Amino acid sequence: MTDIRFYLILFAAAGLFSLLPLGLGDYHLHVMIVSLYYLMMASSWNLLAGYTGQVSFAHAAFAGIGAYTSGILAVKFGVNPWAGVIIGTAAASLLGLGVGVLCLRMGGIYLSLTTLGFSEILRIVITNEYDITRGTMGLQVPGLVEEYSKAAYFYIMLGAAMITLIVLYKLIYSNKGLCFRAVQNDERAAASLGVDVVKVRVLAFTVSSALAGLAGGLYGHYLHLITPEIPSLDQQFLVLSMTVIGGMGSFLGPVIGAFSLEILSEYIRAYGEYHVLVFGLIALVVARFAPNGLMGLAASRLPGGPAPAVTVPSTGKS
Amino acid sequence: MALLEGLRLSKRFGGVTALSEVSFTVEEGTIVGLIGPNGAGKTTLFNLVAGALKPDSGRVVFRGEDITGLSPNIVCRHGIARTFQVTRPFGTMTCLENVGVGVINSPRSESDGNWRATALHYLETVGVEDLAFTEARHLNVVQKKKLEIARALATRPKILMLDEVLGGLNSQEIVQAVDFIRRLRDELHLTVFWIEHVMGAIMKAAEKVIVLDQGQHLMEGTPEQVVADSRVIHAYLGE
Ligand SMILES: Nc1ncnc2c1ncn2[C@@H]1O[C@H](COP(=O)(O)OP(=O)(O)OP(=O)(O)O)[C@@H](O)[C@H]1O
Ligand SMILES: [Mg+2]
Repeated sequence: MTDIRFYLILFAAAGLFSLLPLGLGDYHLHVMIVSLYYLMMASSWNLLAGYTGQVSFAHAAFAGIGAYTSGILAVKFGVNPWAGVIIGTAAASLLGLGVGVLCLRMGGIYLSLTTLGFSEILRIVITNEYDITRGTMGLQVPGLVEEYSKAAYFYIMLGAAMITLIVLYKLIYSNKGLCFRAVQNDERAAASLGVDVVKVRVLAFTVSSALAGLAGGLYGHYLHLITPEIPSLDQQFLVLSMTVIGGMGSFLGPVIGAFSLEILSEYIRAYGEYHVLVFGLIALVVARFAPNGLMGLAASRLPGGPAPAVTVPSTGKS
Repeated sequence: MALLEGLRLSKRFGGVTALSEVSFTVEEGTIVGLIGPNGAGKTTLFNLVAGALKPDSGRVVFRGEDITGLSPNIVCRHGIARTFQVTRPFGTMTCLENVGVGVINSPRSESDGNWRATALHYLETVGVEDLAFTEARHLNVVQKKKLEIARALATRPKILMLDEVLGGLNSQEIVQAVDFIRRLRDELHLTVFWIEHVMGAIMKAAEKVIVLDQGQHLMEGTPEQVVADSRVIHAYLGE
């Protein structure tokens, strides 16, 4: 994909999207806002899992870091929510750097377990520090705009989603991205060609956590209520399912996955909260039988169409 | 002058002594063959030099500098490139991108921003430019070996370490490959350290041959000396 083609498609898509508030009611706009949140989450998780082979379970946790940092700053210290979101993003990237460094020498399952632990610790802290976080009751926070309107939040999330996609595109299709994919394919071979594997993994962790922090920060202010649901494992598995079903390691996969699963889950919400479980099962089946997800299926149907960049990340390599 | 030097290198894997106090030198501008029966420790020796494994004891010295225990990417940046016995292509990346990884990480890279042109040049050098836009997982074994050589060359090494690159070639192709490696050495001013089971090729290409047997440095000398040595004959035939 050339730069010009990418920006053309991105801005054309965003242009079409920006017309949506004219035709959609509040409920459907809400679904779009949530979809954009998941787009940011799934695409940035894909940078880690799909492009450097680090299957982290702490991505929703980093969104929680962004949301709670910004929310607490606003509630306790009266910090402007926009400034809060930026600080929340920075906090998530710093923590991401820390966890990334901690997990450096770990591959596969160990990294997954460590991030799972991090996520669980965060949940326990949030539920127990009631004075600060309001526990499971949730923290009421101010919004990002003076006058509440779904359309305003829709444009904010659309802008943030575009920033996310541009950052990811810049990384993945730059020289660095070549190194990312080399590491994902074969760490030892990458290192033998001069790739600093440690640096690549830490960079991916930091950037991906920062983007999750940004998404979480904005989302919290949109909801006006930040609960431990945002950094929950439920959410983590939803994001994972979206990425895997859409197509892990392909640029568009998580975008497709986020929209289709969020919209689908609105339809099956009536059947209770089992939809995450259902998606998890579908993701398992996809990972087994169509490791390139919907994008892979689309590519194999269209001869000459772009093949997805990467298959499932190899785990178990140290 | 010795470009690369190993000093009493040892490496054990659990109970197996893969290398025991092996010393060797590779002189600048030469082709040095490394031979020995299966399991002699040849690949292990490469791994110690390339930083893929850390020696239990001993030193690796490159251009007078101690590089023992440095990580593989740093070793590469010093000017040591290697291929893998069992090839390790970046399967989901095109051949051009595979080589591009070597180009963009080389501190000596001549490409100013345009890694593609440089990568294509190295694909041409090994003769697989037709496959530039093919994903590496679709290549056959011989093509994968060529791709690994192109990738290694793209890092602009001073020394190229080849681990059994002739597998799958017929006798005529082997002759061509030997010519090719010699030409590479001359044109790129390389030093070549070369593990090979195809004895004829090593005998024709190498100025010096080092023989390992069961982790020990058995002997070294000119190809003529090596083939005539009774210990070498015994090592190969005696089991
Ligand atoms: N990573 C490892 N873990 C355990 N044992 C190993 C490892 N690498 C090599 N060995 C053992 O060390 C010994 C030397 O192996 P090495 O691969 O260096 O031999 P080689 O001379 O390259 O053999 P070949 O000609 O078959 O490639 C063998 O006994 C091998 O089984
Ligand atoms: Mg070997």
